Amino acid sequence: MTRTDVILRKFALAAVTIAVVVLLNFILFRVLPGDPVRAVIGRGVRISAETQAALRVQFGLDKPVFPDQFIDTLGQWAQGNLGVSWSQRRPVAEVLVAKLGNTLLLITAGQLLSIILGVGLGLLAGWRRKTALDVGALTFSLITWATPTFWLGIILLVAGSAWLGLPTAGSRDPGNVGKPMLEVLPDIAEHLILPTLTFTLVYLGQYMLIMRSSVLEVLSEDYILTAKAKGLTVWQTLTRHALKNALLPVVTLIALNLGFTVAGAIYIETVFSYDGLGRLFQEALNRQDYPLLQGAFLLLAVAVVGSNLLADLIYAYLDPRVKTT
Amino acid sequence: MKKVRALLQASVLASLILTACAGPAAPTAAPSEGTTAPATEPTTAPATGGDAEPSELRIAWGQDPDTLNPAYSFLAVSYTIFDLMYSALVKEGPNGEYYGDLADTWEVSDDGLTWTYTLRPNIVFHDGTPLVAEDVAWMINTIKDDPEGWAALNSYTAGFVEATAPDVGTVVITTDYPISNMNYRVSVLYAVKRADFEGFTTAEELQNFTNAEGVGTGAYKLVTYDTDQGVVIMEANADFYAGAPAIDRLIFQTFDSGDAQVQAFRAGDVDLLYDVPSTAVETVRGIAGTTVVQRPTRGFTELIVNATLPDNDPAPTGNPALADLAVRQAMSHAINKQDIVDIVWQGLARPEWSIIAPAFSGGFYHNDAITDHAFSLDSAREVLDAAGWVPGSDGVREKDGMRLEFRLEFDADSDSYPRIADLIATNFREVGMEATPAAVDSDTLIARTTGVGDFDLVIWGWGGSDPDPDFMLSIMTCGQFVSGGWSDSGYCNEEYDMLYAEQQAALDPAERQRIIHEMQALLFRDLPYIVLTNEDSVQAYRSDLFTGFPDYTADSTYGLGLTDAYVLRQAQPVP
Repeated sequence: MTRTDVILRKFALAAVTIAVVVLLNFILFRVLPGDPVRAVIGRGVRISAETQAALRVQFGLDKPVFPDQFIDTLGQWAQGNLGVSWSQRRPVAEVLVAKLGNTLLLITAGQLLSIILGVGLGLLAGWRRKTALDVGALTFSLITWATPTFWLGIILLVAGSAWLGLPTAGSRDPGNVGKPMLEVLPDIAEHLILPTLTFTLVYLGQYMLIMRSSVLEVLSEDYILTAKAKGLTVWQTLTRHALKNALLPVVTLIALNLGFTVAGAIYIETVFSYDGLGRLFQEALNRQDYPLLQGAFLLLAVAVVGSNLLADLIYAYLDPRVKTT
Repeated sequence: MKKVRALLQASVLASLILTACAGPAAPTAAPSEGTTAPATEPTTAPATGGDAEPSELRIAWGQDPDTLNPAYSFLAVSYTIFDLMYSALVKEGPNGEYYGDLADTWEVSDDGLTWTYTLRPNIVFHDGTPLVAEDVAWMINTIKDDPEGWAALNSYTAGFVEATAPDVGTVVITTDYPISNMNYRVSVLYAVKRADFEGFTTAEELQNFTNAEGVGTGAYKLVTYDTDQGVVIMEANADFYAGAPAIDRLIFQTFDSGDAQVQAFRAGDVDLLYDVPSTAVETVRGIAGTTVVQRPTRGFTELIVNATLPDNDPAPTGNPALADLAVRQAMSHAINKQDIVDIVWQGLARPEWSIIAPAFSGGFYHNDAITDHAFSLDSAREVLDAAGWVPGSDGVREKDGMRLEFRLEFDADSDSYPRIADLIATNFREVGMEATPAAVDSDTLIARTTGVGDFDLVIWGWGGSDPDPDFMLSIMTCGQFVSGGWSDSGYCNEEYDMLYAEQQAALDPAERQRIIHEMQALLFRDLPYIVLTNEDSVQAYRSDLFTGFPDYTADSTYGLGLTDAYVLRQAQPVP
């Protein structure tokens, strides 16, 4: 098999996976008990049974799930239309795009910081095994990893708003709503500080722990001994020989995390009332908004499968052995 | 590596699912809070000096409006905004009466079929155009004629024949039959700008309209509405008929976490908490410069008893023992409601027995002549003994092959109901009844109760957002026990239904009161609901920065919340 073949096959597999996920989600949402019309309008709202029936027709819920509703949905999607959200009454694509930007900001900042700090700490701890540095870094990482996200977020929120005057909610000040992003960058950045810090602390631990154990493993390899014997400095040994190999498991972890965090760090978004995808998912589920759920989960599936694919490709680059398998 | 990966996936998935299930409690719905009313129209607080910096009141709430289109809006928070930006012919005041908003005066004909509203002169929309009677009549007719498009408001026009505008200052509404709660009905028929709402050709098009730039005639103008950020900004309407409100700007900001709200309040980021989480009430009380407003809601928590008739289609699955009145009475005696108040609601509620809470119209409709079954395990045992229910070998009472064993289900979204279920199950066990608590998602509960009767006992609650008792009374009528209806108990009593129809047509308040008292007596006799508690709502504001809010401690029946337009118009910044 040539390299192109392998890559093509991986893409094909990814496409099939996404298709299966789409089908599963379609079924899954519809086997959920309850009536979406009731979920959308809530309990205690005066709306007649006839009007509810009319809404059911409008949503296409009067038709059988298979094949009618399924074909309708696929037909819409084929035209590049994700439908209209039942609860928000706006095109699903528009809703997703509005939230995706914020989530990407938060995740990119949080992931980058946690990767850099986590990998760095892991490398140091592995290299300086059994020193105070190692024990300190390990303890710190274990604690932050084990801390409930929600709790950590609240603590940071209280401390940050009380001592540093940082904002408590949202992705920008209410007064800046609707203004172009470039104009209010400092405000947006200020609103990102606490969520990003929470994100970083929560994810840093995993990277550190994986990196540390990976470094330890690599450092015990014969080729490291060889490198040392050649008279390379510690720095040269670490960067030229240990780092690339030790990074392999971390790459997997990063790719996996990237996919899942597109769903938004739900807890973090909730604590900081940050209007990202995570909150949207929760709301869509609560209100049984099928079009929005389907769109959101399509996005999530593409993100997870896509980042796995990316991990595979990076792996092939980092480790020549996997190129043709 | 694999383990970590699997663990990660599992935890992310679990958190996705968990957060999805444990989302915020279902929103209470429909029109704004409050009940009673002043004979005089409210005066607007004097505006502060022209050169002063604009005053700003920042409000934190836990949910943003679903839309600002009144045709298709179902959340209480949206109606808070409508109340501020729109006028209606009349609006509810603080003590159960209605004051003229657009209407200066109004009267009903002797046969009760023709309502004539004389409008205030010189009412103008936020865009400067005048409002004329024809605008109001058009609105009412449009809502009436488009039940699907105007899904949220159409039911308020039931029984209307038509609205007309004989001249620019008069609106006449004719009805099919006398309508006793006409004031309440027209108080949510908002005078929208006709041009904003007349261009839609299908119901779906109208429903998809968010009205983000809506124009009304209310005390505040809508400036910004951003659904994604959950922000609503409003500015004082200088042309408001009673003068511009003293607070220049209102900013509503959505918080997803109650703790964050409280912290924002403490840090001074917000000035008013729309709904203080019950666990945070004491904390908020301790914040300097704060006034906490605690007032009874019209909402209640109840134990729904399966009262579905045996010939229902599909056949009910409830324990037939529930048909024995003695069993239901014993349950009512056995439940320690005060415990529920103290332990579950942390004192922010009262024991209650009626679906018409005392907060309806300042107590006008609550039947005070009835005394609830006293909590007494002995009385419960006596009632069961007398009815022939004898403890079996395992302590559970039996009679004619029936056992007092029940499913006790509740809405899984609630963190209070499981605790109530535990208390009830414990109480029941002591008198020889076995109840098995189980959390069920709300959609399943609706599907299994409404029109079906596939349950024994369910713990649930009503928000009581309607200021008029009609809706609450309607949930016990036979006709509502259908899929898509509101009856979950399956209660069906011809006498009750007759009284329900009578109270709808009783134009004399005293007569309507008498009928509604009688209806409560019937429900208390038959116990399709064992009402447990009537809960309080708690709000808070920075009284060191804002003044002019009513003294809620002096008037315990004051029915309007802090963000009601009537109340906000009187508030002002501390100079």
